Amino acid sequence: MLGKIYTGFGFWDVSAWIAFFFIASFYALWLRSMGRRDYKKGTDQDEIYWSGNPVPEDGADITVPASSAYWGYKKAFTPFYNALVAFHSGITTDYAGWFVFVSAVICALAVIF
Amino acid sequence: MNWSQHLPALVVAFPLLGAFATPLFSLGGKFLRNLLFVAVSLVTLIIAFLLWRNVLLHGTILYVMGGESISLTLPSGFAFPVRIMFEIDALSAFMGLTVAIASFAGALFSLQYMNGFSGLHRFVSLYFLLTVGALGMSLTGDMFNFFVFIEIASVASFGLIAFWRDKPEAIEASFKYMLLSQISAMLILIAVGSIYGKYNFLNMAAIADAIQMTTVDKLILALLVSALAMKCGAFPMSMWMPDSYAESPSGVTCLLVTVSQVSLYGLIRVCFTLFGTVAQNSFIPWIFIVLGMMSMFFGVTMAVIQHEIKRLIGYHSISQVGYMLLAFGVGLSALHDPRALADYGFTALKGGLFHMVNYSMYKGLLFLAAGALYYATGTRDLDRMGGLARRMPYTTVLFLIAAAAISGIPPFNGFVSKLLIYESVFTVHPVLSAVALVTSVLTLASFVKIFQTAFLGPEKNQWKSVREAPAGMVLGMMVFGFVIVGFTLFPSWTISNLIEPAAKALVDQAGYIGAVLHP
Repeated sequence: MLGKIYTGFGFWDVSAWIAFFFIASFYALWLRSMGRRDYKKGTDQDEIYWSGNPVPEDGADITVPASSAYWGYKKAFTPFYNALVAFHSGITTDYAGWFVFVSAVICALAVIF
Repeated sequence: MNWSQHLPALVVAFPLLGAFATPLFSLGGKFLRNLLFVAVSLVTLIIAFLLWRNVLLHGTILYVMGGESISLTLPSGFAFPVRIMFEIDALSAFMGLTVAIASFAGALFSLQYMNGFSGLHRFVSLYFLLTVGALGMSLTGDMFNFFVFIEIASVASFGLIAFWRDKPEAIEASFKYMLLSQISAMLILIAVGSIYGKYNFLNMAAIADAIQMTTVDKLILALLVSALAMKCGAFPMSMWMPDSYAESPSGVTCLLVTVSQVSLYGLIRVCFTLFGTVAQNSFIPWIFIVLGMMSMFFGVTMAVIQHEIKRLIGYHSISQVGYMLLAFGVGLSALHDPRALADYGFTALKGGLFHMVNYSMYKGLLFLAAGALYYATGTRDLDRMGGLARRMPYTTVLFLIAAAAISGIPPFNGFVSKLLIYESVFTVHPVLSAVALVTSVLTLASFVKIFQTAFLGPEKNQWKSVREAPAGMVLGMMVFGFVIVGFTLFPSWTISNLIEPAAKALVDQAGYIGAVLHP
């Protein structure tokens, strides 16, 4: 049932990954168990270190919102995204137009080839 | 009478009965309606499973509604019975089972997700009709019946997408889908009418036996390909998809995902079974490959920049459909050459089919998890979410499983199907694999973004009172999670019992024809 799956070029064996998962989990747990347990709860030792500044009470103040994620990627591809977003206009007649256009192209190819 | 011989009828009749019984049961109160909802969905799943098992054990099943045998030719003089005829091979049974799993999971989830809204008897009726349409499309052996079932599924979808009719966005999404679906339906009807006009058949096996490759036939094929490619969400005809998936209730979205896969099933059934060896020599494999490449790339690049969770996952649906189109295009191109089919074509088909079922499961789970977040927070905007893993541990773990699977992270099932696709399409051209790999990297980037912004990070004050989704919703998600983990841990069993028989059925055009014409 676990078995190997041959792709024509190589194979996939899930049991090797399951073994890896258990070994990695064991190592991670062992590493964790080596940590110190003598810290004092409720003191500064328990606090998040935030570049030496006081940590804001509301998590919303220190969160990077989703729309800011991959800012550099989006900035680098601005011209591409300007065109792609404009293409997704949200206008129903555009949707229908592209559908009819693609259908016409496929039909034309059918006649030609 | 052996009741098991009526499984093909029962699997469609049961949810159909459920659809019409729901208003009556609703008179008995909420409990009775919910009981009917879950019981009918569960029984449909059991029947679909038994049907799949029967097909694996005994081969293709033929079933004629209202006729004692398939060779009974009434009205007299007709070569084939003009009735609703089901021809269920391993591919149809595989698709039917996928639909039934998604329908059951969505029903379980919807019980509490939809609790508190009015008009739920209409919701449940439409939900069952959508299931009927999808199952009928999977099992039918008749082109006109296929059109009828696609219309049943479409009409039910319009109602379900616009179910929250006080939201203008939901009405707009439904209208957009309705307009495109009706154009698609007209194209299919013209194609089916042309087939009937030319060959005097509507039976798929009979058409496949008689089909030639005249200009009219090529145009019929072109109409069916473009109509069904739109229904399954191929770029650039895919723009309805994020709108519809985002605005419909999440329990419905997970079923809509599977219905789009049934349209893809219809597409490959037409190209491989109906036109088969005739289609492979034409431009069609390259249409598949080009649409697949565009869908993968443009779908995922649009997804990366979204910050509304269901729209983001909706754009990923387009890119995932691209993988399958690419795999089936490569498989179709190799169909005429036994050596190419053995070398890479059959592997591509197995990859495409495995990805179909994987996609239905992990995308269903992703939409349900997104629904659970919406249920708990009242927003779909990722900018407003954060730190929810502390409050919603089950949803977090289930989302993580689905996100890892769609991103193709080993050892999850999504990795296995993607690996089969990468390595087989590489033989045709390395660029195909390169685009697929880039798509996978961007997919991972998108889901890292969702996971980080919704579940991780510091807790926001406004979500301190958030609770885990109710048990019924978690149970619905667990159905998908269970299947994903099963496919992940037992890929060899899945390929041998579910995927390979379906792939063999897909390439065995003679077997499909012979089951009806030479029983």
